[in-house]
Amino acid sequence: MTDVAPRVTVRVSESIVTEAPATLVAIALGSCVAIVLHDPATRIGGMAHVLLPSQSMGRIAAPGRYAQTAVPALIERMIARGARVPSIVARLVGGASMFMTLTPPGTIQMGERNVLAAREALHRHGIRLVGEAVGGDFGRTAEFDLDSGVVTISSYLRGIQRL
Amino acid sequence: MVDAQKLTEAERDALREIANIGAGHAATALSQMTGRKIMIDVPEVSVKRLEEAAEQMGPADTIVAAVLMHMMGDLTGRTLLVLPEASARSLCGILLRNSEPGPGFSEMQKSTIMETGNILCSAYLNALSDFMGMMLVPSVPALVADLASAVLTTAYLNFGHSRDHVICVDTAFRIAGSDDKVSGQFILMPDVASLTAIFDAIHLVK
Repeated sequence: MTDVAPRVTVRVSESIVTEAPATLVAIALGSCVAIVLHDPATRIGGMAHVLLPSQSMGRIAAPGRYAQTAVPALIERMIARGARVPSIVARLVGGASMFMTLTPPGTIQMGERNVLAAREALHRHGIRLVGEAVGGDFGRTAEFDLDSGVVTISSYLRGIQRL
Repeated sequence: MVDAQKLTEAERDALREIANIGAGHAATALSQMTGRKIMIDVPEVSVKRLEEAAEQMGPADTIVAAVLMHMMGDLTGRTLLVLPEASARSLCGILLRNSEPGPGFSEMQKSTIMETGNILCSAYLNALSDFMGMMLVPSVPALVADLASAVLTTAYLNFGHSRDHVICVDTAFRIAGSDDKVSGQFILMPDVASLTAIFDAIHLVK
């Protein structure tokens, strides 16, 4: 079993690529999005904990910080380890909109923008999106098992969901 | 414009002083509401990367109840009252004179926490307004009870103008000498543009 497999926390702005047996965890995603890529054939996978849609919105340079740059950065490192693009699949978790009542009407919340940017980046790089647990007004913790590719999502008072 | 990352010691002192005044008034309000003595710590001024700020309440998956309000008028920014789950529950116990074990919060408890946030943050802003001779208007409050890191990151990111750094003036408080364990933080998050206005208002000599 995976009892001894390393369990790595992917903190905000980080992007980590590794292979089974391992579990990658993004704790407490609010408007942040966890972009999870997995190649079932080689069981190589990666996770990015992105804060913003694109690099144009921040001055700090870290590929894992922005949806637009995180996707190619993950793909590149997965390929370097031996993954093949046609078999890579993606899952997205997070992008919640909290404190909704304080948002000016008509504006798009950062969570939503992060999800849109992540979907667009995946599409641009030809990665198939196979599962999403996004939106809503609550936080999520995502655990990605690189062996099975399954992402387990837990939320405060909302139980467990599997993608 | 003030460079938030290069605040001088005098500027930090000034922010600590206004936070002390604001939090002092908020603590007095809380003391009157609960009939308990409230202790406040020396305020802490920090300019942090958003990614670090997410972990300031302890482990990222701690559950907190947070009341966020916009600060409008002569200064802009936000105020946040953050209570760990157990503290929020104890506070409701004191104010409602009954205890509901949870998990989660009943509508009555949510309403109590939100109203407490409203009263405390308004007291905080009123004190700043009097001290600096400015007009400060609070928005309606919004409550979220969820994972700490998710709450804080969203509060900083969704409403702040900076996507990189956040200026926080935190004041920790707790109910003293009682079995009711209540502790929490008042957090003032002025927009960078408002820092200049604060320093001008108190005639801070550069």
